[in-house]
Amino acid sequence: MPSVESILSGLAGDRATGALRMGRAGTFYLTEGRVTYAETSVCPRVEDLLTASGRISAYAVRQARQGAGEECRGGDRLVERGVLTRGELEFCVLGAVLDAVFFLFRASARPRFRPGERHWLGPQWYFDVTGLLRECKRRRAQLDQAWPSPELDTLPVVPMGRIHAQRVLLTALQWEVLVGADCTATPAELARKLGRPAYSVLLAVRQLAAAGLLRVPEREHRTVPAPPAPAPLPRRDDGAREKLPGRDPGAAPAPGWIPRTTGDPADVSLLIRLKNALEALT
Amino acid sequence: MLGIEECLTEVMGIPGALDAILIDQTSGMAVAVGGGSRHVDTEKSAAGLSEALRATLDGLAVTSAAGTARIREMIVTADDGHHLLRPLETVFDGPLVIYVKLDLERANLALALHRLHSLSGRLITT
Repeated sequence: MPSVESILSGLAGDRATGALRMGRAGTFYLTEGRVTYAETSVCPRVEDLLTASGRISAYAVRQARQGAGEECRGGDRLVERGVLTRGELEFCVLGAVLDAVFFLFRASARPRFRPGERHWLGPQWYFDVTGLLRECKRRRAQLDQAWPSPELDTLPVVPMGRIHAQRVLLTALQWEVLVGADCTATPAELARKLGRPAYSVLLAVRQLAAAGLLRVPEREHRTVPAPPAPAPLPRRDDGAREKLPGRDPGAAPAPGWIPRTTGDPADVSLLIRLKNALEALT
Repeated sequence: MLGIEECLTEVMGIPGALDAILIDQTSGMAVAVGGGSRHVDTEKSAAGLSEALRATLDGLAVTSAAGTARIREMIVTADDGHHLLRPLETVFDGPLVIYVKLDLERANLALALHRLHSLSGRLITT
């Protein structure tokens, strides 16, 4: 089966317009050979990003979508109605497409091209395949740099109840992730809930994990040394003296071991007072 | 109302502007490039600049009594020019940063800031 990249490159060469469906994983939309939109089931779509913030109503988006046709691009309608600026729409499309592509390139579904199919937004930003691949590679490296393991990517985000650090610095997005985390939502679900790109949330989750602010399953599954059983209390019998644990002078101090205070005049005077009290009893 | 490319053209129209990059702060990606930046490794520049902004934010957050920080613009005057960074918050993704490098001799910082303010208001409305 040819790779997604080679199919996209072929379509670019043909200056094709249409939708490349990757099964259930998602869809690339091409306009005259260049990628102009992409969406997946994992990432929030442009309409999700726009409406989640509350600044743009779902009604305005629906209207633009319904009014979109061959000669009228839905995205242009949004801009014309003053719902958002051209720059905001472009930046939103840019973010959503790069987000979707990051997950789509890893999809294993059989691609099927449907010529002529368009996305309702219309082309707002043009991407070439090599640029998309380069950016995906860069993003993957960035994720691995933050926290080099995918173990948390698909698990519920669980913030630690108590942390080892005494002070923490967070970015605005990391704050949103922590506030939004309900211990059941995965990074992708959080992204949808927050209306933020899935990649940004994933990066924030990995950064939070690296900072020790999230529960990491591997640490729990790792064989934790069982706490040492409490030493049996010394019995009052003939051999009691020998059984009392004596300190080996050559042994290394155990972790958490605190040196005893010896030679302190307070200790000596306390012992003398104890001795006097015991003698007074007899 | 501006598009991203038009915004970049206007940034490059600021007197003394040498390079300009629009950066997505979260991913450190170069969104659009203008001027002399076309000749250098834009990807590295964008990543480096967003890292510089992040480090400055961290430093300011620690320094401030409240422990939080919000940068309106960052101006670094170096041997090779003034470097201006202006993060613009958007409702759907981490800030979009306008970066422009200005000539030390020819640029007027106050004018450049004024122009940046006016065009960022037409690019992002929050």
